[in-house]
Amino acid sequence: MAGEQVSSFVFRHSRRHLTRHFREWSVALALGLLLLMLAVLAAGFFQRNQLLSICSTAVPVLLVACGIALVIISRQIDISVGSQFAVCSVLLGLLVQAHWPMPLAGLAAIIAGAFCGAFNGALIAGLGLPSIVVTLATMVTWREGLRWWRQGEFVRDLPESFQWFGLGQAGGQTAVLATTVALFLLLVFGMKHISAGRFVYAVGSDTEAARLAGIRPPLVTFGVFVVTGTLTGLAALLNAVRFADVDPRTGTGLELQAIAAAVVGGVAISGGRGNLWGVLAGVLLLACIAPALVFLKLPPQWEKALQGCIILLAVAADGWRSVRRKH
Amino acid sequence: MNTNEHGSSKWQAFRRFETLLAFVLLLEILIFSKTGVNFATRGNMFEVLRLSTEIGLLALVMTPIILTGGIDLSVGSMLGLCAVLFGKMWRDAGLPIPLALACTLVIGAAGGGLNALLITRLNLPPLIVTLGSFSLFRGLAEALTRGVDNFTNFPKTYLFLGQGYLFGGVPAQLPVFALVVIGVWLLVHRTILGRSFRALGFSAEGARYAGIPVKKRLAQVYILSGIISALAALIYVARVGQAKSDAGTGYELLAITAVVLGGASIFGGTGTIHGTLLGVLVLAVLKIGLTLSDQPSELAGILTGGLLLAVLASEALLKKLSARRARASQASVRVLT
Repeated sequence: MAGEQVSSFVFRHSRRHLTRHFREWSVALALGLLLLMLAVLAAGFFQRNQLLSICSTAVPVLLVACGIALVIISRQIDISVGSQFAVCSVLLGLLVQAHWPMPLAGLAAIIAGAFCGAFNGALIAGLGLPSIVVTLATMVTWREGLRWWRQGEFVRDLPESFQWFGLGQAGGQTAVLATTVALFLLLVFGMKHISAGRFVYAVGSDTEAARLAGIRPPLVTFGVFVVTGTLTGLAALLNAVRFADVDPRTGTGLELQAIAAAVVGGVAISGGRGNLWGVLAGVLLLACIAPALVFLKLPPQWEKALQGCIILLAVAADGWRSVRRKH
Repeated sequence: MNTNEHGSSKWQAFRRFETLLAFVLLLEILIFSKTGVNFATRGNMFEVLRLSTEIGLLALVMTPIILTGGIDLSVGSMLGLCAVLFGKMWRDAGLPIPLALACTLVIGAAGGGLNALLITRLNLPPLIVTLGSFSLFRGLAEALTRGVDNFTNFPKTYLFLGQGYLFGGVPAQLPVFALVVIGVWLLVHRTILGRSFRALGFSAEGARYAGIPVKKRLAQVYILSGIISALAALIYVARVGQAKSDAGTGYELLAITAVVLGGASIFGGTGTIHGTLLGVLVLAVLKIGLTLSDQPSELAGILTGGLLLAVLASEALLKKLSARRARASQASVRVLT
């Protein structure tokens, strides 16, 4: 009797969980199917080195996409993250070149990201300007400013301690992945169980209701942009250490990659809906496409077209579900 | 009486805004004719127009979309895809140029139709749909050319569209551009369709109650955007003389910048075609003027971003100030009565 009750509770609970997180699970399922197909057709994909390299390539996108997810959940958008990423990367390289110790330079890069985010946030939350236009302007300004300053020159001759924090490839990859996993779990916990995280959802669902509930929406919006900038700075740090020098053109198109991953992962552009597990699934799905094409011996030029198809399919599925529900 | 007053003050505000923009343009021209080599010549003025035709076309057609409260991020990718497909149809399928031109326009309409279908049938936000087709169109262009194929050696008669001059000095694409400007201006400012775009942007639900076929109107602007992007692709290929998969990269953002600089609200409802045209010219003159003045080209981007922020911030501050003044005058009226 008691067992039956428990099992029916578990059944009902898991069913509700499944319907509520339909999008997240369907993306995870798509990722699972892709991996299964690779396991059958090209088992070479599952070598340890291969997986590690895919994961460490996906790390910067994941961190930026988490920031973007917060921004979208609070019903804003940020298309300047790619340029912020480049500014932080170059700054990091130059500081290390100027013999700053690595931890200090890394911290400086993260703070620079936070400042870029705060600049966006001040204009958007303080003056009430539309976020897409503000971040469009800062995107162009940072990118062109960087090009003017560096003239497209790489930051070279970096000390040994720069690449992989001087830990060697294996140790460096472990450090990068461990940092990312820890931070990701922290963010997931924060969005679900800390009041600041819930404020983001509240402001995104209904700004006026949030204000009447005693939340200050401008402050939340500002905070979200600062967090996104900080995450972008950290992503730049974790990305830059993979290479021996810093390319000033890095991060071009990163903003659209991150938005795409968030949207595929079920973050609704209308605000208030989405979670970071879905974003993780979205990032991994999009990151696996290019290596999967190589391993399945298909022409790699199809990557972008396939990514576009996945985005359109994911949002079309969303739209179809909501249209059907209404009728 | 009250609504009339409201309407006229609004109109004045926009007139002021566009006068401001025209003043910025004039200032640019004055500065660059002092600093630039060969800037203030008739030939250079035509050159500015020649080089800004494609962005101008995209910005023109972006205006009605932004008026409806939407956005189209896929125009630059559409340009790239159309350029590549045009080259493929002409070289590989052996179609004669006029037929290939017509087919490219049809493909543009089909691409816009895909966006329209997803946006209207499934009620999806345009930002996300066109982000998806932004990737899809560019990806198809890369896949079809394997990222390296380049179409060149187009016939002279076709290249004339982008490189030729009429009556000694007028670039050949200028009449086409002027025609589209007049067409879109009439559409937006002098037809019921144009008014309904605006109504849609203010409130889609309200427009529906007023009997406007919301979905049909939305579909129309996105299909128009596809067609004009294809036209821009044809002019681009004729001007550059080659069709590669990276044609038009980043043009969508330039077009949006021009529209917003031209005074359109990104939330929809307000904006004008002449404002957009001024926005395009301000950006084009800035870029070419800086080049001719021997200044780094990156400065153009920085100034564009700065100008955009300055314009928006000053507008927001003015609005805040006038709201405060209105509140103050209301309070004083209350005290008097």
